[in-house]
Amino acid sequence: MVDLATFYWGWLLGAALLGFAVGWIAVVHRGSGLSNRASLWLTGLLAALIAVALARLIPGRPGYWLDLGLLMMAAYVLGCAVGSWLRHWVISRHVPAA
Amino acid sequence: MRGLLRSSGKWWPGVVPLAILLAIAAWTTTPPLEADLAARAQASLKDTVLDKTLITVAGRDVTFAAEAFSEEGRRSAVAAVESVPGVRLVNDQTSLVPEAKPFVWTIERDVVRVTLGGSAPLPASKARLLDAARAAVSGVEVADRLSLSRGAPLRFDAAALLLIDQIGKLKDGKITLSDSEVTLAGMARELGGREAIAAALKNLPEGYWIGANGIKAPPYVFAANKDPVAGALTLTGYVPDNTVHAALAVAAARKFFNEKVIDNLKASVGAPQGFANAVVSALGALSRLSTGTLTVSDREVKLSGDALYDAAAGQIRGGLSKGLPQGWQIKAEISVKPPATPVDPTVCQQLFADLLHKGQIQFDSGRATIDPDSTGLLDRLIETAMRCPTATIEIGGHTDSDGDAAFNQTLSEKRAQAVSEYLVHAGLPPERFRPVGFGSTRPVAGNDTDEGRAQNRRIEFLVR
Repeated sequence: MVDLATFYWGWLLGAALLGFAVGWIAVVHRGSGLSNRASLWLTGLLAALIAVALARLIPGRPGYWLDLGLLMMAAYVLGCAVGSWLRHWVISRHVPAA
Repeated sequence: MRGLLRSSGKWWPGVVPLAILLAIAAWTTTPPLEADLAARAQASLKDTVLDKTLITVAGRDVTFAAEAFSEEGRRSAVAAVESVPGVRLVNDQTSLVPEAKPFVWTIERDVVRVTLGGSAPLPASKARLLDAARAAVSGVEVADRLSLSRGAPLRFDAAALLLIDQIGKLKDGKITLSDSEVTLAGMARELGGREAIAAALKNLPEGYWIGANGIKAPPYVFAANKDPVAGALTLTGYVPDNTVHAALAVAAARKFFNEKVIDNLKASVGAPQGFANAVVSALGALSRLSTGTLTVSDREVKLSGDALYDAAAGQIRGGLSKGLPQGWQIKAEISVKPPATPVDPTVCQQLFADLLHKGQIQFDSGRATIDPDSTGLLDRLIETAMRCPTATIEIGGHTDSDGDAAFNQTLSEKRAQAVSEYLVHAGLPPERFRPVGFGSTRPVAGNDTDEGRAQNRRIEFLVR
């Protein structure tokens, strides 16, 4: 997987930037988020997919696509986290000034 | 941190563009990734000796099929492919090259090509053998029917290379190496080739042995053609050495008094036992033919042509079989030349004089025994005598002046008598001949030189 990250860092960077943008917006977005139940399901699904990828259960091209997808997802989530955290930080600095 | 967790519930809308991004990434990166992995897997095997290597990549999984020449080599090849960066799984379809038992290798030569067949131990060894074969028979097509197998005996390459060298000396044939046993069959290209191959086989590597050597030598051929129109005797083919060559040249010159000898003989080993005697005897038979061909092939003597008269044909056949060493075979196809037109006695005299000018009837020294080398000349004299059936012929014997005159007189009479008997034996009526001895009383040259004495020792035919 480390090799893949070096081969295709451009795509991962794209995913991370997308995540950063979504994370940035998510802080001030007024819509409803995922319910706890859905989050749990999603986390479980991701965990299962990661387990399948690590166990190398899916052969050939689908296996590669799964690996690539999980890597991009990881970069996306990381991007979201950085984006959201930065937005929170920016907002919390503005509030006392007001 | 809590805020971060709260907002994480709102990250999902980005999953849709992420999925699109993933689809594009998968679409564009899969083929180059696969090609790259295949190239690097292939490169990782460049120091490993394998046969029938086939690498197919799906995603990051490599299906690796190959035949290895040892278990260790097989494992290291699989490990090399597994260690290629980026490879996820290796689907190992490798196996060992089949073992040949017995390990058979062949090289066969026919009219158009040389074919290598059977097994070779390694690709490098196979290439070396093919190169060596091309070098050994330069210009001839070399066909490759070799397969790769395990189980070659030690020093296989050295043995096979030596055997490839031998195929150059064959006209056609097959050499088989079965484990360490060598079998040879075929025909050597040249005389002496069989012996050269046998000598070379002594250098086979240790442990190799000759099961059967069926290499045949080409026939040892000697041929002589008597052509009366060109007045030439042409000798072709082989003689064992220069001594025999010289002896044959002398014999030919003595027996063929009327023909020029064209000598195209070559020296070569491989002559059958008794070659010189057989050829001299057969040349004697040929000298009695008006026109004819003699072929000596190994131990078979073929003589064909026309005898000058009926009785000669029988004598030639009988003389030939007596003169040959044991174990030799004769094929004589001797016909009789149609009788020449009768002529006037004066013409006959001229013909006798011509013949006896070209050659002399030879006798054993001091005796009245006709030298067999003179039978060709005598046959000509008989044929001429037959052309003038009414003429009576005086056969005059002469000697040189050496020795006692009375002895010379008796010797000349006996020699004239011997010639007369020879003619009668050939079927001519005895009353036509009058043998007369003159001793040394009628010399035709001085008796003080060897040459002169040789001219004086003579038989003369005088038509009365």
